[in-house]
Amino acid sequence: MKASSKYQHLYVVVEHEDGMPVPVSLEMLGEARRLMDGFNKKYSSDEKVVAVVLGHNVRKLCEELIFYGADAVICVDSPELQHRRNLIDTKVISQIARSRELVAKFSNASEFIKPRYMFFAADSIGRHMSSTVLAELESGLASDINKLVIEDLEIKHEHKTKGQSMKYEKTLEMYRPDFSGFLWTTILCLDNRNPANEREYHPQACSIIPGVFAPSERDTSRRGTVVEYIPEFDEKDLRVRVLDRKIVKSAVDFDSHKAVVSFGKGVKDSPEQNIKLIAELAKEIEAEVGVSLPISKKPFSVSESTNSTYMIPDRVIGTSGRKIAPLLYIAVGISGAMQHIAGMKESGFIVAINPDENSPIKDECDVFIKGRMEDVIPLLLEELRKQRPTIEVKK
Amino acid sequence: MEHYDVAIIGGGSAGLAALKRLSDLNKQAILIEAGKKVGSKNISGGILYSKKPKHGKTYNVEDIYPGFLQDAPIERKITQYMLHATSNDKIFTMDLTAAHEYQANFGYSVLLNRLNRWFAKQAGESAERQGGGIVSGVHVRSLSWQDEKKVIIETDELEPFEAKAVIAADGVNSEVAEMTGARAKFTPEQLYQGVKVIVKLPEEIIEQRFGIGPDEGAAHLFAGDVTLNHIGGGFLYTNLDTLSVGAVYHYDSLMERPSEPYTLINTLLQNPLVTEFIKDQVAIKEEIDKNLPKEEQLRTRFAVSKLIKTWNELRDIYYSRDGRKKLVESGKYKSEEEIRARLDYVQNELATKYDTKFVTDYIELEYGAKLVPDGKRCAMKKPYYKNILFIGDAAGRGVFIGPRIEGLNVGIDDAVRAADAVARSIDRNDFSTHYMGEFYSQSIEDSPYTRDMKEIDKDYLKIFLDAARDVPKDIIGQRYGVVFKLMSSGTLRGLAVGFANILGYDRLLPLVESEDTYVQVPIELAEKMGRHVRATYEPTIPTIALRIAQLKYDDDRISHIKVLHPNSEFMKKIVTLCPTLCYSMERGGEVTLQHEACIECGTCAKETEWHHPRGEKGVIYQYG
Amino acid sequence: MTTTTTTTTNDLNVAVIVKLEPDFSEGNVSYNADGTLNRAETKSILGPHSAIASSAAFYAKVKYGARVAVGTMGPPIAESALQQAQLLCDADELHLYSDRIFAGADTLATAEVLRAGVSKVEGGKVNIVFSGHRASDGETGQTGPQTAWKLGYTFLGNVVDYNVDLESRLVRAKRLISLQGFYDIIEEVEAPLPVFISIDPSYKAFFNTVSQRLAFEKYQKEAKLRAENYKQFLKVLNTQQLGIDPKLVGLPGSPTIVYKVERIPKAKASRKAEVIDGANGEQIARVVSNMYEALGGMVIK
Repeated sequence: MKASSKYQHLYVVVEHEDGMPVPVSLEMLGEARRLMDGFNKKYSSDEKVVAVVLGHNVRKLCEELIFYGADAVICVDSPELQHRRNLIDTKVISQIARSRELVAKFSNASEFIKPRYMFFAADSIGRHMSSTVLAELESGLASDINKLVIEDLEIKHEHKTKGQSMKYEKTLEMYRPDFSGFLWTTILCLDNRNPANEREYHPQACSIIPGVFAPSERDTSRRGTVVEYIPEFDEKDLRVRVLDRKIVKSAVDFDSHKAVVSFGKGVKDSPEQNIKLIAELAKEIEAEVGVSLPISKKPFSVSESTNSTYMIPDRVIGTSGRKIAPLLYIAVGISGAMQHIAGMKESGFIVAINPDENSPIKDECDVFIKGRMEDVIPLLLEELRKQRPTIEVKK
Repeated sequence: MEHYDVAIIGGGSAGLAALKRLSDLNKQAILIEAGKKVGSKNISGGILYSKKPKHGKTYNVEDIYPGFLQDAPIERKITQYMLHATSNDKIFTMDLTAAHEYQANFGYSVLLNRLNRWFAKQAGESAERQGGGIVSGVHVRSLSWQDEKKVIIETDELEPFEAKAVIAADGVNSEVAEMTGARAKFTPEQLYQGVKVIVKLPEEIIEQRFGIGPDEGAAHLFAGDVTLNHIGGGFLYTNLDTLSVGAVYHYDSLMERPSEPYTLINTLLQNPLVTEFIKDQVAIKEEIDKNLPKEEQLRTRFAVSKLIKTWNELRDIYYSRDGRKKLVESGKYKSEEEIRARLDYVQNELATKYDTKFVTDYIELEYGAKLVPDGKRCAMKKPYYKNILFIGDAAGRGVFIGPRIEGLNVGIDDAVRAADAVARSIDRNDFSTHYMGEFYSQSIEDSPYTRDMKEIDKDYLKIFLDAARDVPKDIIGQRYGVVFKLMSSGTLRGLAVGFANILGYDRLLPLVESEDTYVQVPIELAEKMGRHVRATYEPTIPTIALRIAQLKYDDDRISHIKVLHPNSEFMKKIVTLCPTLCYSMERGGEVTLQHEACIECGTCAKETEWHHPRGEKGVIYQYG
Repeated sequence: MTTTTTTTTNDLNVAVIVKLEPDFSEGNVSYNADGTLNRAETKSILGPHSAIASSAAFYAKVKYGARVAVGTMGPPIAESALQQAQLLCDADELHLYSDRIFAGADTLATAEVLRAGVSKVEGGKVNIVFSGHRASDGETGQTGPQTAWKLGYTFLGNVVDYNVDLESRLVRAKRLISLQGFYDIIEEVEAPLPVFISIDPSYKAFFNTVSQRLAFEKYQKEAKLRAENYKQFLKVLNTQQLGIDPKLVGLPGSPTIVYKVERIPKAKASRKAEVIDGANGEQIARVVSNMYEALGGMVIK
């Protein structure tokens, strides 16, 4: 075993609903598997991918996770953990992260203090859970990650290394797209080696964007260990009561539409008029309307009605929103930031309408109509009406 | 359930006056208004009068709001009142300023959006001191009684609450009247439909054009062929830097031969005298050369827009005394000449660099319409129901004396009487119809306005006769010969009028309010005695679609009006009479409604399930 | 500004933590040629999520007569965020946590400052802390929950509605939970005070009685007057005044650092696009027929 075996293994906090893993959980396991296979090969080590599952009646699920790449699954099954409650979940996960006892069940644990790496889902639950767990474990967290690399890095940092150049081995490079969608910011969680303030920071943790990584193929020949953990509950920690849960039907429904028309910042010349045109186009081909991420930040001054109908997170297509694959996708006034492309690139036939021929979206579409939307859409509408199939396809 | 002593429903000038009065009497009152802000759903002709009655007393706006004349955002004090008889391009003008000044302390042109907001500020502050206030964005849905004493008020937005007394100030289409059954819906014979546009015209240009000073205003009325043979007339009032131009016609006359409201106002705008009144200099953006590179086109478009905006703003300031003074004081310009120089420079830039054309035309800012109740025909005799008192238009109390229409001031007077009646009841904790409703009803009987709705005033008549003294007797004589002779003699006039009043105003109305009076006589007058007026340009009149597009709405997505009889004759006519074309006829002959452009005038109310939209939703007037 | 308070069991003290952020709205935001934000040319305003959190706190003031404090960690210009927040929530107290050593802080180090700041709110212990869902520039969404954890307050995230039972000292809240691949869920939870509420972007304060509407107007008017003189309500606190360990804040206290920023490389073109002229009727006609083909006469549901 290498010198620092205080921090070992990659813990993946799995989310599930109705006995099924949320897709991102399998994606995280897939990426974890790939990373750790590379890690173990490079460093001749035997660190594990450890899934952590909190819930009630989740035994079966835990066993499944082994087929998706987990070496070990820590299974915490209790009626108190049926619904996610941040306080108790954070306490339990933190207990698990610090437990040498648990590690002993699947690996050499003589010096284990905390995991080396930790993954969470970047969704409603995981974002907050990762934050509080890392606050409890007093280590670093990067959120909304879509690329990961494990490297030995030469770091020279005014504080971390007091300006000296030092080697940080087995550092997890965590890449996150910024708000514009065009830049990658790489975050590192590093020990303080500054003599004035020496501190170790582990686990290196991140929350991962759904739909970015691919899950591993389900392989029933894989072997692993399911470890049961019986948590200790403090009465105070159970003080949040879940009174009711109701399913919400969203006004936006991409899945049942064959076509989607999306718009982006290109509407800015006369947003109210342009959006009306786009809505007309969508109506003509019975499409749902989507938006690019910047639009959901309500950047234009339009009527109340247009704002609340279109400039909403529910309509965002992309890694921060929905990933869809309709038969026909029309991108109007969208330049083609990576995170948007990721949300629609599986579509059948992609048409882009944009006056700028150098937009990145040109590489992701089948037809690029060069022109301004206020000129092109009316022509399209005219033609669509002319060519409307005489035999109505029954829905 | 929350309790309040008084709930006033409707935040127009009447409701607000009631709130102010009650608060001044140290009573707690709340006012519920459906619009997002007070004023957003109000529109008037509009002139606000302060009455000086021969007999009795009225409560005038300046009595209720001290500081009204100094601080309120009123437009111009009307000092000129002209009636024009029209026939094609011939106009015969009569000076009726005496008729305007009769029994009036003053008449100010007003724009309700800003004026009511000012009233709301005053009334709201007073009310808050008494633990009450104004709640806007709330639409009253129903009123009910559990015991006789308290009304339970339910709204679309709030938990139900109780009040000991209610003052219904929710206008001519009063939903309170409808839901309680206090009175029947008004019928076309009882109503006028008014439609108007606000026209932009810089301050000093108004003064030059109408021959008035900075604190003066002109009101011009039109009768004759402009009415398209309908009973009623057109009007043009000068505001500070806008004009209110509109037409008001008997609704039943419109029912007989339906004309689109926008056609009626267009006819007025095309009358040469009006065309000349409204004209101004307008900048026209030229089409940008499509052969230029993309960025160049964009840059040019933005540059031109910005420059035209600057030109308009600077021009408005230049033609405003206050505007110029403020600009020079701010240090941005050293002198007024410098402002002029800059204006000329910008205009020159636009003309030479961007081919912008400066033409004579006019600019419309807002289109609107409303129904006005004719008090002579529909004033509620007993304007109360249980512990609800009705005031202003909700009680059908519009006063039409010849060409003079009084509604705002009547509402304010009614409001004070109602507030006093309620206050009295609060003191005795007795809201019974006997103690409150009847008391209020009696007070209304005593109001000089009620008298105006019932009787002809012989002195007012004399003013008309004097004004018409130049009119050849043969024009009048044909129709009213004997009557006219009678009226000309002072003594006989008194007797005649007295007799007429005994007979009843309503018997005389058909004679007076007839096509003859409003259309034929004026046409003949204009033909025989009018002067030629030539228009120097052809006004570009916006289509109704453009006018609607200019209005601001917060759409509720659900329709606030339900068509009950899609095949009735009435509804077929509504297709024409709706000012914003909300109704259309389907192939099968049914009338259908698309509510999005509705300006809530109530023209269709009689045969529909009519409501205002829910709180905050619907039309939002900017001028009113 | 001090207030004498006798904490009765029915009092409610709330705090809001806010952030000054670039103004992303059209006409105000400025981008560089490479698509990156031009911070120098872009105005800074109270972040939109912070604004929503402020209006959530205002709800507590209108409905429960709560005392409201607003705090932010930032340089001196962050004061304007506090002023804008006060306009929205009629704050009784404004805190600016400002110290050069706070610079370079990641979320954990920021949370440490905010934790200390909340404990310095006058008028008694804070029962509810509000934060926005995330900042519109950093977008981590981590600072809120981490501050909650350090405070030891129960964390409730994605709250779209909340009410307080003053007597039993409980909060009842509705949360919007979105998990990809599943339907959205509205979960109703109950937790004892004190709580930390992260407000969902779709939250809209709604007042449903006459008295609340009147109170709303009253406090709005008061907020306008106060915001005009916001400095009277402002306290600026540094490391010492906050009583925090310098090792736990700023750069020293941050586990994470930004290592590098680079352009996301253009992904290899996965499709070969046919470029057509938007003004060419013939080509448009062809695209339309392709579109109808794609929509498939073949797919009959």
